Amino acid sequence: MTRLFEHYDAGADRFFDEVMSKEGVPRAHYDKMMRRFTQLSVDDVRARKHLINLFFRNQGITFTVYGVEEGIERIFPFDLIPRIIPSQEWEKIERGLIQRITALNEFLSDIYHAQKILKDKVVPAELVLGSAHFRREFVGVRPPLGVYIHVTGSDLIRNTDGRYLVLEDNLRTPSGVSYMLQNRQAMKRAFPVLFDRYKVRPVDGYPQQLLRTLQEISPTQKSDPKVVVLTPGIYNSAYFEHSFLAQQMGVQLTEGRDLVVNNNKVYTRTTRGLQRVDVIYRRVDDDFLDPLVFRPDSKLGVAGLINAYRKGNVALANAIGTGVADDKVIYSFVPEIIKYYLGEEPILDNVETWLASNPKHLKYILENLDKLVVKSANESGGYGMLVGPHASQEERETFAELIVANPRNYIAQPTISLSRHPSFMGDGEIAPCHIDLRPYVLYGKSPSIAPGGLTRVALKRGSLVVNSSQGGGSKDTWVIDN
Amino acid sequence: MLSRVAESLFWMSRYFERAENTARFLDVNFNLMLDLNGITSVDHPNYWSPLIMVMSDPGDFRAQYEEYTAQNVTDYLVFNRQNSSSIISSIGMARENARSIIESISSEMWEQLNNLYHYLQSVTPQQVHNDPYSFYKEIKNASHLFQGITDNTFSRNEGWDFVQIGKYLERADNSARLIDVKYQMLMPKRGQHLDLVKNSVDIIQWMAVLKSCSALEAFRKVYLSKIDPDNILRFLILDRAFPRSITFSICAAQEALWKISGSTTHRYVNNVDRLIGKMDAELSYTTVDDIHIRGVHDFLEEIQNGVIKIGEQLHLLYFAYHTPKIEPVDASEGLAFTGVAGGRANWSQSQQQQQQ
Repeated sequence: MTRLFEHYDAGADRFFDEVMSKEGVPRAHYDKMMRRFTQLSVDDVRARKHLINLFFRNQGITFTVYGVEEGIERIFPFDLIPRIIPSQEWEKIERGLIQRITALNEFLSDIYHAQKILKDKVVPAELVLGSAHFRREFVGVRPPLGVYIHVTGSDLIRNTDGRYLVLEDNLRTPSGVSYMLQNRQAMKRAFPVLFDRYKVRPVDGYPQQLLRTLQEISPTQKSDPKVVVLTPGIYNSAYFEHSFLAQQMGVQLTEGRDLVVNNNKVYTRTTRGLQRVDVIYRRVDDDFLDPLVFRPDSKLGVAGLINAYRKGNVALANAIGTGVADDKVIYSFVPEIIKYYLGEEPILDNVETWLASNPKHLKYILENLDKLVVKSANESGGYGMLVGPHASQEERETFAELIVANPRNYIAQPTISLSRHPSFMGDGEIAPCHIDLRPYVLYGKSPSIAPGGLTRVALKRGSLVVNSSQGGGSKDTWVIDN
Repeated sequence: MLSRVAESLFWMSRYFERAENTARFLDVNFNLMLDLNGITSVDHPNYWSPLIMVMSDPGDFRAQYEEYTAQNVTDYLVFNRQNSSSIISSIGMARENARSIIESISSEMWEQLNNLYHYLQSVTPQQVHNDPYSFYKEIKNASHLFQGITDNTFSRNEGWDFVQIGKYLERADNSARLIDVKYQMLMPKRGQHLDLVKNSVDIIQWMAVLKSCSALEAFRKVYLSKIDPDNILRFLILDRAFPRSITFSICAAQEALWKISGSTTHRYVNNVDRLIGKMDAELSYTTVDDIHIRGVHDFLEEIQNGVIKIGEQLHLLYFAYHTPKIEPVDASEGLAFTGVAGGRANWSQSQQQQQQ
């Protein structure tokens, strides 16, 4: 009957399959999608996929792969089969993330001011103050509205029971939201009928909401504060996203050399002279923001920017020093952080985590390297990690030495069997692939979440790594009203 | 408008125009080979070295190739990535510039430029060798399509004016170089310009010059079939109606510059406007006899230098970011900018930024 799903093996005894229940029938919210796909042949799907790839390439929706001498532009692989989240599931995600982000913002505000949580020894002071991302220069500096993390994207996964867990928080400059928006456009083109049959909540309002958030944090009392996006430039892997967001918001995309600080105020350099800037949505890391304060060799930043920020003449989103709270070691304390500031139980759980800096944990980690995923505390993008079960004995030994040499820098987590979702493979087969979910939270006067997010999918068979730099792709994510 | 955006628009347009001109010159040379075949040896270096003199640097060419053959010159001017003015480099630079301002241009403009870029990546030297006509036509059409799209989708604000300035300054410069080189080749003896050697090979060569500017038909409408060098000089340098003549190009660039600054006749507000106004006035009141009195080569060289000076002043006035203390003392230093210059220096740092 179903040509496309005929040979689909959900492996539902070992993994949570998003579409197929343990009994081997489609879950209710996937019913209409399955019926639509049964009407299609492999060639139909191929043709649609080709169309979408062409759309992405011609629009220049690409990212850059590192490690080669000049950046190679690639299309971020897109999988046609949408991921569907029913509203009651979504509601819990939404409440859980807002709780989490609110608590993390309280945490940042606290450690950059009174440091009560450290004095109460809920979080060990040395872990915070010794973090590479803790900026002591900003102790006592209050950002507008007291908000530090205006744009965040926490990564969620589902374990074998289908329970949502937070895998990591991205509180510095999370990327990928442009794919959330573009994937939706692509799906509307490729499957207009299917789209029509579901009540999919729109995500298209994100750029407007982002602009509103940025204007809300303007330090100046203007009716129309001037917002710019600051990008490291065209060689950055997320350059497309920076330009896309600037274009969607209708604001200027700037590089460091477009901005100048005079008398602690920030200006753009234009053909008509200097123009005052109020808010900078910066996609440049802390380290590169201002050569006078951080890395002196930075060519990407603006000399004097930090002083202008400290004087309260310009707002930065996100604030400086937020990386201390998405450190993977601090991550393990987030449930305590939530209880400490909000007096609530966490709605979304963490993944069980061992800290190499804790001698008992370290022993456990070294003994179980073949079962664990070890991550470096400050790296992102899938770099600097060891997937124990998939690594060779030699790789594990090398990593063990690294861990012992610098225990503060490593954490370990059990190898989680991420939930799987049917995906269309290049050979025309539909296979189950591991996925995660990154929803985007905006926080100005109050936090809000775009209904959806970026579902990343490990398109290499059996692979657990969903990062785009490691061969991952993405899916459109539909939050539906039943 | 951000200075950097203005600068990138200017260079995007300029590089695209350069690529089109290179395609034109090569195309016409191949046609010339067909016309002259049998009359004279067409793979003679004399037919190919001028192209390098017009479009590029002979020293650099000689360092990489032994001889001025059709194949070598084509390779150098179309595919060579070390040659910064090859078609592939020019389109690459035009695209880099466009990419850095992708949010400021229309998506149709980007798509067209991007298409041409991907097309060029897929073409092999063998394909061009087998069918040069189709290849150059593709480039020229792509350029015309881009200009048409720009005309129809890009708002008529300051950005559009910078696109026009880039296009017309480049065109004036390219035309001046082309006429200069061809004139010297065809009129070798000093002081004998009135004493024409009217053999058929020369006529065909002059027609080729006209063709490379798509000017042959327009020329005939004005001068019928009197293909003599003075008429050709008059047409390619001084004609006010033909869109590839030097005077037309300078006039169009002036119009765009004045629109940006608000200058008017007799009342300039900055140095660029003064220089271009002066050049326009000179061209408007010059005759072919005046050109001969000055010397054709000197006259054309002055135009090329004028275009360089205008470029320098343009850079200082609009692109050098209004920070007097970082402006170079010597204006020529400032010209190191080519829109995305500096980008390459930023490359390593940009990629150090990890993605969350």
